[in-house]
Amino acid sequence: MAEHQNKVVRREILESIRRNLAASKPLDAIRSEHKHPSIPRVTESSAPAGLTLVEQFCESLNAVGGHCEVVTDITGATRVVEQIIELLQARRIAVSDSQLVARVIEKMQSDVELHTSASTAALFECDLGITGAQWAVAETGTLVLESERERHRLVSLVPPVHVAVLQAHSLRQTLGEILKALGENHVLNLNRTVTFITGPSRTSDIELTPAIGVHGPGELYVIIIEHSTNE
Amino acid sequence: MNHLTAETFDENARQALLDPQLRGALRHLAKVFSERRKTAIHTVPDWEALREQARAIKDETLAHLDQYLEAFADNAAHAGAQIHWARDAREACNIVAELIRERNAKHIVKSKSMATEEIHLNQMLEAAGWSPVETDLGEWIIQLAHETPSHIVAPAIHKSKRQIAELFVDKLGIEPTDDVSMLTGAARRVLRQRFAEAEVGISGVNFGVAETGTILILENEGNIRLTTSLPRVHIAVMGIEKIIPRLVDLDVFLKVLPRSGTGQRLTAYQSLITGTKKRADEEGPEEVHIILMDNGRSSMLASPVTRQSLACIRCGACLNACPVYQQVGGHAYGSVYPGPIGAVITPQLVGLSKTAQLPFASSLCGACREVCPVKIDIPELLLHLRSEVVTAGRKGTAEAPAKRKRIEGLLFRGYALAWSRRWMYEWSGKVLRVLQLPMVQNGRIGKVGNFLSRLVPPLGAWTAGRDARPLAPRSFREQWFAQYSRKP
Repeated sequence: MAEHQNKVVRREILESIRRNLAASKPLDAIRSEHKHPSIPRVTESSAPAGLTLVEQFCESLNAVGGHCEVVTDITGATRVVEQIIELLQARRIAVSDSQLVARVIEKMQSDVELHTSASTAALFECDLGITGAQWAVAETGTLVLESERERHRLVSLVPPVHVAVLQAHSLRQTLGEILKALGENHVLNLNRTVTFITGPSRTSDIELTPAIGVHGPGELYVIIIEHSTNE
Repeated sequence: MNHLTAETFDENARQALLDPQLRGALRHLAKVFSERRKTAIHTVPDWEALREQARAIKDETLAHLDQYLEAFADNAAHAGAQIHWARDAREACNIVAELIRERNAKHIVKSKSMATEEIHLNQMLEAAGWSPVETDLGEWIIQLAHETPSHIVAPAIHKSKRQIAELFVDKLGIEPTDDVSMLTGAARRVLRQRFAEAEVGISGVNFGVAETGTILILENEGNIRLTTSLPRVHIAVMGIEKIIPRLVDLDVFLKVLPRSGTGQRLTAYQSLITGTKKRADEEGPEEVHIILMDNGRSSMLASPVTRQSLACIRCGACLNACPVYQQVGGHAYGSVYPGPIGAVITPQLVGLSKTAQLPFASSLCGACREVCPVKIDIPELLLHLRSEVVTAGRKGTAEAPAKRKRIEGLLFRGYALAWSRRWMYEWSGKVLRVLQLPMVQNGRIGKVGNFLSRLVPPLGAWTAGRDARPLAPRSFREQWFAQYSRKP
């Protein structure tokens, strides 16, 4: 569409909005006499008593069909990945460029083809994709991945199984906290793509019967490493 | 094949009532969605406060829509998105077609977007020689069946598992099966191939954040992430009312939309996309285009009653709660948007002359208003539109649909004249009590009464299915004064 024409249409639409809002003003005045706008109360959700963030996260993730494993250190994480590979009889594994993932995979003993920075075609052939996560939400069991901090978009989506490794200190209670953190200083910090992942892919489009694993991964494993490392 | 129009809603509804398979599907939908929604709402401490917050944010945005829209456009452009403006459906379609043509693209995938249904994008693209593939399972099913969606959130909900299985056997050549995961698996296999070849991905937008120029799209299947990550070009079609002011405002909407729409705490995936990637070697499309579409929305801003229509976040909860929708389903409405919200926005988007029956497709029970996460007062809107229909009918203007019956007008005038005077009201009651005597049989008004009421059309509709009751020997007022005061 020609640049000029686009500018013309933009102006017209904005003017139409202004014109209609102005026409509404006298009616708005009458309405506000009769309807008192209520002041929304701030809703604070409270953490379930006694559960740590990690425990909450695991509960939430399990509720949506994901699998949660809590380990103490990198070695523990490596072992869990090996177990998953064994369970799935996976042969081709795609990994993201996360440093944490690299450290987990480093000492892995499984006999598999590892694909780092896999091409799209290669990804379609992989059995498993491993990523990290920059944040996680305990209340909902959600992983938050930022495109400029980790190359995650396709590795976490194309292979039929997704494994995410993260450190316990990345957990927050609510999604609201994450949005606040993302929004602060957004000019500098807001990555071009931020993905929230809550459990495996699903649909209810056929007779409202749940089916798991439609276009995205049908299985999601999240491994939480409890002890802080220098990542 | 179903291409019913809104003009014949009454007839469409009558036909729908005769379809037992459809009615079974709708009963199932009403039950399941209602249970899931109830469960989901109890997972937040104060659902009502969330609704208030959501509505307050929408009101604030709509009251200054021009400013927020400009901020959104400028911020998105600053981050590398190409912003296009479209006054109507035709312009929006032309922009999409032009983008595809200029890039010589052939393979197009689409994710579910009611805005693209509204502008009949697929029809236009197909007429121009392209074959866009719907990737949302429900949308793909109806694309294969050459039908239109019958629900805002679950497009194929009118189809039974058996019908879908037959469709897949016919179009995909799979083995007949009754298993939902096998059917889903078949869809996954076929559509994965389309994703692998896709050059252009077309999506809708759930929310546009003014502060950052971010678009948020939510889903369960993963097809939106694939549609917006794999192809070189991403085109997002967005109604101008989808704007919200700040990133943190998403918190409220991500709480109310999944719960209202599908009874989930959160859908499986949310993608927050701001402009294009910073470096060429990063993942994602090379180009991101956002089409900001008016198509009748700005005129809805002209009064507070109609402005609330634009607060809609397309959750579909009103459909699930509506006793009319529950009986006749979405296709009877003959419009892209069915159910209560459809009954109020379709006449505003396409004009009342072709949609005059829609505002009357309601008993004003208010169930929709109760479940709406942004507290749209749909019954208020329905009454507003009804009065427009009646006024147009009286004036005989270009907007006038079939003229409302003269008798109804006369009746109401007579009613107002007579019963706004107390003495007339009391005496008419006394007279009617005498006149009704010959018609009463066994405590009910008999055939003579029913016959007479058929002469008076609005009353005839009542007595077609039930006997009228006679007036009580003494009116409430007479009884009250007899009991509580000396003189009546």
